[in-house]
Amino acid sequence: MTNTQQEILRVSDLSTRFFTQEGQVNAVADLDLRIERGEVFGIVGESGSGKSVTARSIMDLIEPPGEITDGSIEFHDSDLADAVRDDYPEAVDGEYVDLLEVPPEIRESLRGTSFSMIFQDPESSFNPTLTVGEQLAEAVEVQRRASSRPRSTRAKTEEYSFGSFALSTVLPSKKYVTEESRNRAIELLELVGIPDPVERADEYPHEYSGGMLQRAMIAQALAGEPDVLVADEPTTALDVTIQAQVLDLLADLQEETGMTIVLITHNLGVIARMCDRVGVMYAGEIVERGSLEDVFDEHVHPYTEGLLGSLPDLDGTTGRLQPIAGNVPSLLDSEMENRCYFADRCPKAMEDCLDHPPEYDAGGDDHEVRCVLAERRYDRTRALPDGYFGETERAAADKHADPDRTEEDVQPERAEGTVESSGGDRL
Amino acid sequence: MNVGKFLLRRVLQGIFVIWGVVTIMFGLRAVSPGDPATLMLGEGATQELIEHVREQEGLNEPIYVQYFDYLQGLIVGDFGYSWRSNREVEAMVIERIPATVELAVVATIVAVVIAIPLGVISATRRNQPSDYGATMFSLLGISTPNFWLGLMLILLFGVWIGVLPTGRRAVGFGEAMVTLVQYGSATGLITWLQHIALPAITLGTYFTALITRLTRSGMIDELGKPYVTASRAKGLPNVLVRYKHVLRNTMIPIITVLGLQMGTLMGGAVITETVFNWPGLGLRLIDALDARDWPLMQGIVVFIAIAFVTINIFVDAIYSYLNPQVNE
Repeated sequence: MTNTQQEILRVSDLSTRFFTQEGQVNAVADLDLRIERGEVFGIVGESGSGKSVTARSIMDLIEPPGEITDGSIEFHDSDLADAVRDDYPEAVDGEYVDLLEVPPEIRESLRGTSFSMIFQDPESSFNPTLTVGEQLAEAVEVQRRASSRPRSTRAKTEEYSFGSFALSTVLPSKKYVTEESRNRAIELLELVGIPDPVERADEYPHEYSGGMLQRAMIAQALAGEPDVLVADEPTTALDVTIQAQVLDLLADLQEETGMTIVLITHNLGVIARMCDRVGVMYAGEIVERGSLEDVFDEHVHPYTEGLLGSLPDLDGTTGRLQPIAGNVPSLLDSEMENRCYFADRCPKAMEDCLDHPPEYDAGGDDHEVRCVLAERRYDRTRALPDGYFGETERAAADKHADPDRTEEDVQPERAEGTVESSGGDRL
Repeated sequence: MNVGKFLLRRVLQGIFVIWGVVTIMFGLRAVSPGDPATLMLGEGATQELIEHVREQEGLNEPIYVQYFDYLQGLIVGDFGYSWRSNREVEAMVIERIPATVELAVVATIVAVVIAIPLGVISATRRNQPSDYGATMFSLLGISTPNFWLGLMLILLFGVWIGVLPTGRRAVGFGEAMVTLVQYGSATGLITWLQHIALPAITLGTYFTALITRLTRSGMIDELGKPYVTASRAKGLPNVLVRYKHVLRNTMIPIITVLGLQMGTLMGGAVITETVFNWPGLGLRLIDALDARDWPLMQGIVVFIAIAFVTINIFVDAIYSYLNPQVNE
């Protein structure tokens, strides 16, 4: 990607916090992202690093006790900018609209049409009691209704009301989903390679296999012809051969439609295969970002190094895998110190790391890193002594790491990390 | 699986259940103390007369012969005669069905109409005053005993304010409708409503509270599922997410509870009917129990079993429509 590319999404200083009983959790803090139109941008990190929260913040899917507390998400759409310029001048900057400054109705009107999302677990992301065709047709219908009226009136037009819903349950002709949308849903199923789409459309999610359902979800996300597709761990729940098919499908569709994809994964193999540029997330912030080559080959941050070091090498030349010591840190506000959040696990921690590092330019094309090593060499004499941060803090901190994650998720995901990425690598 | 096969299987299961009920009832009667002939004739009957009745009713036969005679009668719809009034049991049961069904249906309608919106409001405005109100109401409703509530309602509306009758069923719904249609007079219907209001509220309160709680917790549960987020992500209007997806799925377990409760209500709400002197099956069952009128008791219990089984088959049919995964 070159610099002449236009940025479709500019996320600045985004902070998303969860106000839980244990205290404030800073799931995402002061996050900056620049995503260019038509690229595949990867966000990689361990579970609990804030990847999913970032995705949901962009999609406006954060629910209480979570809240976006700060920052801006600017979206490039000249029609939208024209439509809201008069009413919300402070939200508009040229052809960019700050989505956090416009009322929720306008943001909602962008879901499904400008932004859409695919989720990690296709089985639970479909309603089990409606047919797949019906659910796809709903997504088509959202787009059909939106495009039938100009941008400027979309959010102002009365939302689909309870009255219309009540009427639709009695009169078949008033149903939300029209026959056209249903036919389009079948076309979409065909597009993503589902055999016998006409029959399949009338089947329920539990009659699909995981891989087919993920295809159907991709079809659903494409129904609105979105500008930006957020894919949150799209292959994690699938087995390795199906992962490859789904990634190929995504890549093909991206090439055809030219949409922008924000790909979130903990699997570096997937990143290497799909992405133009990468952001490495740790403890709610991006610690290193740049082009795929910069991050994989010229990385500066020891965390990136650690992530890549925990990948098995098929030649077997690296010998034993190098896991990153310790666990993801607590994101509980009261337990976060003003230092580099990775310092307690970092093999190269120095006294300089006791101040929270800003983003440094690491050379290359837009290659930035949040680590003092970008500025100075590792100096053994300034190294922090072993056990400086203590051991107990890490163990206790772990459970606060990710508000979305339940206890039982913790073990398998960690265990599968290395195995899975080897699968990803081979793809 | 197709509908016919499904229904056939459920009907066969139902018949088996009803047979079980009949057998247990017969067994209880066989082991319960008291001589039927004495019960029928009263304390002062002569030994001769008692012997005569025993012979006539087949009470001297071995117990298994009596059992098969009874089963045979049931199959052709002969429930025998009431020991007390010497009337046919079928007639005594059938004449009480309308009152019980009316009460059960009205109570259920009251419950559903109040409870589901209340549960939805409660779930969608969690931890707001309306949620606290609804939760409080349902807690009260669940913990208030029927007989006390009935008496209090009678005292309040019947005695102190004096706007509603304190009990009895003046006119049936059928008759009320006939007068409305034939003479265009709504007085019958109004009288009917006045009389059924308090019993229906009494009977329906617990039910309302239960369904409110179920709707609330079910909906909160359902709202947290990933498919809800996915539906929002695809831009589906909130109304559709909430009602077409979430409420519909919430209703699946609620329908089951509704069916079970309806079955219970069909058996006559014994306490409510007693408090309001409502001439339904429950009241008749109490009378039969008092008089140790076994044939009548058996007749009522068998009817309850049939009603229960029928409603449940119906509920299962709705259930399989709502939840396609059942049809595997």
